[in-house]
Amino acid sequence: MADPELERRPEFATATVAYAHDLERLWETSPGIAGWLSTVDHKEIGIRYLVTAFAFLCAGGIEALLMRLQLAGPDRHVLGPHAYDQAFSMHGISMIFLYAFPVLSGFSNYLWPLVLGSRDMAFPRLNALSYWIYVAAGLFMYAGLAIGQAPNDGWYNYVPYANREYNPGMNEDFYSLGMIFLGISTTVGSINFIVTLARTRAPGMSVNRLPILVWGTLTASVANVLAVPSVSLAFFLLWMDRQFGTHFFDVPQGGQPLLWQHLFWMYAHPWVYALVLPAMGIVSDGLPTFCRRPLVGYAPVALATVATMILGFGVWVHHMFATGIPNLALAFFGGASIVIAVPSAVAVFAWTATIWLGRPVITTAFLFFASMIVLFVIGGVSGFMTGSVPVDWQLTETYFVVAHIHYVLIGINVFPVVGGIYYWFPKFTGRMLDEKLGKWNFWTMFIGFNVAFLPMHLTGLWGMPRRIYTYSPDMGWTTLNAITTVGAFIFAIGVAMLLINVVISLRVGRIAGANPWDAPTLEWSVPSPPPPYNFAVIPHVASRHPLWEDRLGESEVTSLVTRGLLLDHGRETIGTSPLDGDPDVILKMPGDSYMPLLLSVGLTMGFVGLLVHLWWLAVAGAAVALIAGVVWLWPRGTLGQRRVRHV
Amino acid sequence: MSIRRVAPAAAALLTLLAQPAAGQRPLGYLHGEGPKAWPVVQLTLGLLAIACVVVIVTSALVVVGIWRRRVTDITDIRSVPPTRAGGGLRWIAIGLGISGVALLGSLIWTVVVLAAVNGPSRPTRLTIEVTGQQWWWKARYLDDDPSQQFITAGEIHIPVGEPVRVRLIGGDVIHSFWVPALAGKMETIPGQINETWIEAGQPGIYRGQCSEYCGVQHAHMGFLVVADPAEKFAAWRAAQLRPAQVAVPQQTGATLFVYHCGACHTVRGTGAGGTVAPDLTHLMSRGILAGDVVANTIGNLAGWIANPQGVKPGTRMPAQDLSGPELQRVVGFLQTLK
Amino acid sequence: MPRLAHLLVTTLLLAGLAGCGRGDGADIRRIGSARHGAQLIAQSGCGACHEIPGIANAAGRVGPPLGNVGTRSIIAGVLPNTPDNLVRWLRMPQSVVPGNAMPDMELTEHDARDVAAYLYTLR
Repeated sequence: MADPELERRPEFATATVAYAHDLERLWETSPGIAGWLSTVDHKEIGIRYLVTAFAFLCAGGIEALLMRLQLAGPDRHVLGPHAYDQAFSMHGISMIFLYAFPVLSGFSNYLWPLVLGSRDMAFPRLNALSYWIYVAAGLFMYAGLAIGQAPNDGWYNYVPYANREYNPGMNEDFYSLGMIFLGISTTVGSINFIVTLARTRAPGMSVNRLPILVWGTLTASVANVLAVPSVSLAFFLLWMDRQFGTHFFDVPQGGQPLLWQHLFWMYAHPWVYALVLPAMGIVSDGLPTFCRRPLVGYAPVALATVATMILGFGVWVHHMFATGIPNLALAFFGGASIVIAVPSAVAVFAWTATIWLGRPVITTAFLFFASMIVLFVIGGVSGFMTGSVPVDWQLTETYFVVAHIHYVLIGINVFPVVGGIYYWFPKFTGRMLDEKLGKWNFWTMFIGFNVAFLPMHLTGLWGMPRRIYTYSPDMGWTTLNAITTVGAFIFAIGVAMLLINVVISLRVGRIAGANPWDAPTLEWSVPSPPPPYNFAVIPHVASRHPLWEDRLGESEVTSLVTRGLLLDHGRETIGTSPLDGDPDVILKMPGDSYMPLLLSVGLTMGFVGLLVHLWWLAVAGAAVALIAGVVWLWPRGTLGQRRVRHV
Repeated sequence: MSIRRVAPAAAALLTLLAQPAAGQRPLGYLHGEGPKAWPVVQLTLGLLAIACVVVIVTSALVVVGIWRRRVTDITDIRSVPPTRAGGGLRWIAIGLGISGVALLGSLIWTVVVLAAVNGPSRPTRLTIEVTGQQWWWKARYLDDDPSQQFITAGEIHIPVGEPVRVRLIGGDVIHSFWVPALAGKMETIPGQINETWIEAGQPGIYRGQCSEYCGVQHAHMGFLVVADPAEKFAAWRAAQLRPAQVAVPQQTGATLFVYHCGACHTVRGTGAGGTVAPDLTHLMSRGILAGDVVANTIGNLAGWIANPQGVKPGTRMPAQDLSGPELQRVVGFLQTLK
Repeated sequence: MPRLAHLLVTTLLLAGLAGCGRGDGADIRRIGSARHGAQLIAQSGCGACHEIPGIANAAGRVGPPLGNVGTRSIIAGVLPNTPDNLVRWLRMPQSVVPGNAMPDMELTEHDARDVAAYLYTLR
C-alpha cells in the first residue's frame, strides 16, 4: 500500500505543548454565533441539554405552583377548569418528557466521552441534531400553551377524550405531533449512546470497568430504541384519527380505546425507568467518591440496572388494573410489579453499605446523593403498594399515586441531578459551587419536598382523585392540601437557590483544579473545564478507578493517563472492540456543521405545516431536511476510517 | 433501631389513620366496609405497615451510617484517603433475603385477597347497568321483565347486605366507577362492558366519584350509593317505576319542560323522552344535582336551569331562553317530581 | 302596640341606615345573625344565580350580583331597600313581583332575617 495514512501507526508518547496546541486548533469551535450554531462538541451540547432541561423544569414548576395555589383550599378560583387541565397536562409533559430525560442526556452527553476516555461521541453531528430537535419539539408543544390550546388530556392522554369529537381544539394536535417530533430526538440520541458505548472507549475500558452512569444510560437508551416506536405510533394513529377520520380509536367504527393504553404504557413504563436508571448511576458513581471507597457490589448493581429495565418491559399493565383485564393476567402483572422491587433493593443496599463501610465526607453533593436513598425507598415502597392489584384498585388515580410518582421523579431524578450538578459543576466550569449556600439549598429542597409530598400519600388514602381542579370543603382534604402547597413553595425556593448558586459561582466560585473531590474516574484526569479535545493522549484504562489505583493498590497494571496514543491527523479518536475495549481503528471525527441545525429547521417547518395544514410548508420542510441530510452524508475521503495494526 | 419497637407504633398510627368517621372524609377508603372493601382495607393497611417499617429501617441505616464515621471538614478531601473495606456484599445478600421474604409474603396475600374479592360469595339478585357520561352517571335497573326496568341518574340505591352486580358502560369517553367505601375502581370504557360488584354491610349513603380524567368537569362527576334496608329499597324501587303525574296547575310548566328540555331529558308520563341527559322522572327523590356539584335545593335548581354554564362550566347542558315566568313554571313542575 | 314598636324600630333603623351608613354592626345584629345567614345562603343555593362575596362558589350570572346590596336604594326593582322589604322579598319573591325569575325560597321569617343580616354586611 502506497498510502502512508493507511499504514500509519499512532505514536505512543507523552503530549508536548506543540502537540496540544495543534489539537486545540483542530478541535476548537470557531468563536461567535457561527460556532454556536454549528458546534458538535459533546460538552457544549451536554451543557445546552442541562440548561434547556432546567428551563423546562422551571416552566413546569410554575405550572405546578399555579395548580398548588388553586388547590391550596377548597373552591378556589385561581385557575378555571380549562386552564387547570392545560396546566396539569403541560406540567406532566414538561417534567417527564422535556426535563427528566433530557437533563440526564445532558449529563451523559457531557460525561460519556470523558469517563470512557474518548474525544467525542460516536456521531457528533447526530448528537447536535438530537439536541436541536429536542428544543424544537419542546417549543412546539409550548406554542400550544402560548395560544391557549396546550395539550389538555394529561400526559397519558387517554382516548376517546383525546379524539376530535370530544376535544375539537388544536390542543391534542400540538401534543400528537410534538411527541412524534420529540421521539426522533430521543431515538437518534439513544442510538448515538449505544454506538458510542460499543465503539469509542479508551483502550482497556472493558465492560466490567464502565461507570454505573454509563450502564444506566446504556440501558435506558436500548429501552428507548425499543419503546419509543410504540408511543410514536400511538400518537401518529391519534393524529390520523383526528385529521383524516381513520378509526383506530373511534369506538363507533370499531376502534379500541384500550389499544391506546397498551401502546402508551408499553412505552411509558420503560420510560419511567429510563428517567431513573441514569440518575441512579449518578448516585452510584458520585456516592463512592464522597464515601472514600469504591461502590459496594459493582457487578450486582450493574446487573440490577439491566434487570430493572428488562422487567420494566413486563409491567406496563399495572397502569391498567382497573380496565377490566382478566384476573389471571392481573395477578401476573401484579407479581411482576412486586418482583421488580428486587433489583431496586440491590441498589439501595449497595449504596447503604457503601456509606457504612466508607468515611462519608459531608458535602452538598453527598447530601443530595445520600438523601436520594431515603426518597428512593419511599417512592419504591409506595410503588410496591400499587403493584398489589386489589390495593391498586383503590390507590390508582388518587393523590397516593401523585405522591408516588413525585417521590420517584423528584427523589430519584431531581435529587441525583442536583447532586450531580454540585459534583460535576467544577468539571463543567472550572469553579466550585458555594458549599454554604449549597447546604441551605439542600435542606430547603429536602424539607420542602417532604412537606409537600409526604402528607400527599394521606390525601390519596383519604380519597382525593387526581386531576380535579377543585374540591369542596366537606371532603376533608383542606388541611393536607394547604400543607402541600406550603411545601411546594419551599421546594421552589430551594430550586431557586440552586440557580442563584450557579449564577454566583460562575463568576466568583473558588477555582477548582482538575480533581477537586479526589474522585477516581477518568473525567477528573483532565483539566477543568476540559479542553475541546478532552484527552491530549488517549488514556489506557486498567481498572474501574484509574485515579485511585495508587492508593487502593489493587491492580497489577496501572492505568495510563499522561502517556498514550497521539492522534492529531485531523479530528481523531480511537475505536475499540465492544466488550474488551481493544483498540482496532482510528475513527475520523467530523468537524462542526450547520447540517444538524438545518435538518432540524426543515423538520420543524414540516411539523408546523402538518399542524396547521399548510401542506406546501410541510413539503418544503421535508425538502430542506432532505437536502441537509444529503449534504451531511455526502462521502468525504477525510472521514474514512483507518484500521490500526498492532497498537 | 429495633423493628420490634417500631412495628406496633406504626400499626397504631395506621389504625389512627383509618379511624376518622366516614362522614369526615366521604371518599376515604381506609374505612371501607362490606365483603368487597374490607379485605382490601386490611391488605392496604398491612402493606402500608410493611412500607413504613422498610422506610424507617432504611432511613435509620442511612442516617446512622452517615453519622458514625462522618467527615465534616471538607476543605481537603484528600486527607481522607480512599480505601476498600471488605464485607459489603453481605449487606446486599442479607437485604435481599429480608426483602424477598416480605415481597413474597405480600404477593401471596395479594393473590389471596384478589381471589376473595373476585366475585360475590352468593348469587346476585340485582344487576344495575351503570353508564358513565360527561359528566354524570346513568343507572338502569335490569330485570327479566322489561316492565320492571327503570332508569335513574346520580343516585344508585341498593339493598343492604346483598351483593349487587354492576355492569359498566362507557357512554362517551373513559370514566371510572369508584365508591371508595364499598369497592375499588373499574373503568367504564366505550366499546366494552366491564363488570364489578358492590355490597354494603351497613345502611347509609356512600359517595362515589369518577376517577379517570374525562374532561373539564371531571371534578364534578360524583354520585351517591344509597344502601337501604330491604323494605325501604323495595318501596324506593316501586316508586321509581311509577311515571310522573302532572297535576292541573303544573300543565303549563310540563308543556314548557317538554318543549325546552324534552329533547334531552325524559320524564316518564310526559312527552319528554330524550335519552342523552339524566332521567328526571323522580328528580325530587334525589339529593344532588348536576353530578354532585350542588345540593338539590330550589335555588340551585332554578339557577342551574337558568345558567348551567355558571354552575358547572363546560357542562353539556345548554342554557335555555326562558323568561322569568317560564322559569318559575318549569321549576314548579320539576318540584312535583317526587 | 307591637305594631307601633315595630314601626318605631324600623324607622329608627332606616334613619340609622340612611344616616350613618347602613350595616353598622349593631344595626345588623338587630336584624338577625349574619353568620347563620351566610350558612343559609350557601345551603339554599343563592349562589347559583347571584354573585355573593364571602360565599364559596357563589358566582351566578343569572340574577344581579349582590356585592353592594347593602347600599342599594331599590331592591327587586320595586321596593325601597329596608330590612323588612328585603325580608319580604327573600321569603316571597313571587308575590312581590309575580313571575320574576327568583323562586320562592321557602325560608322562615327568622331565617330570612338572618339572610338579610348577611346581605346588609355587603357594601
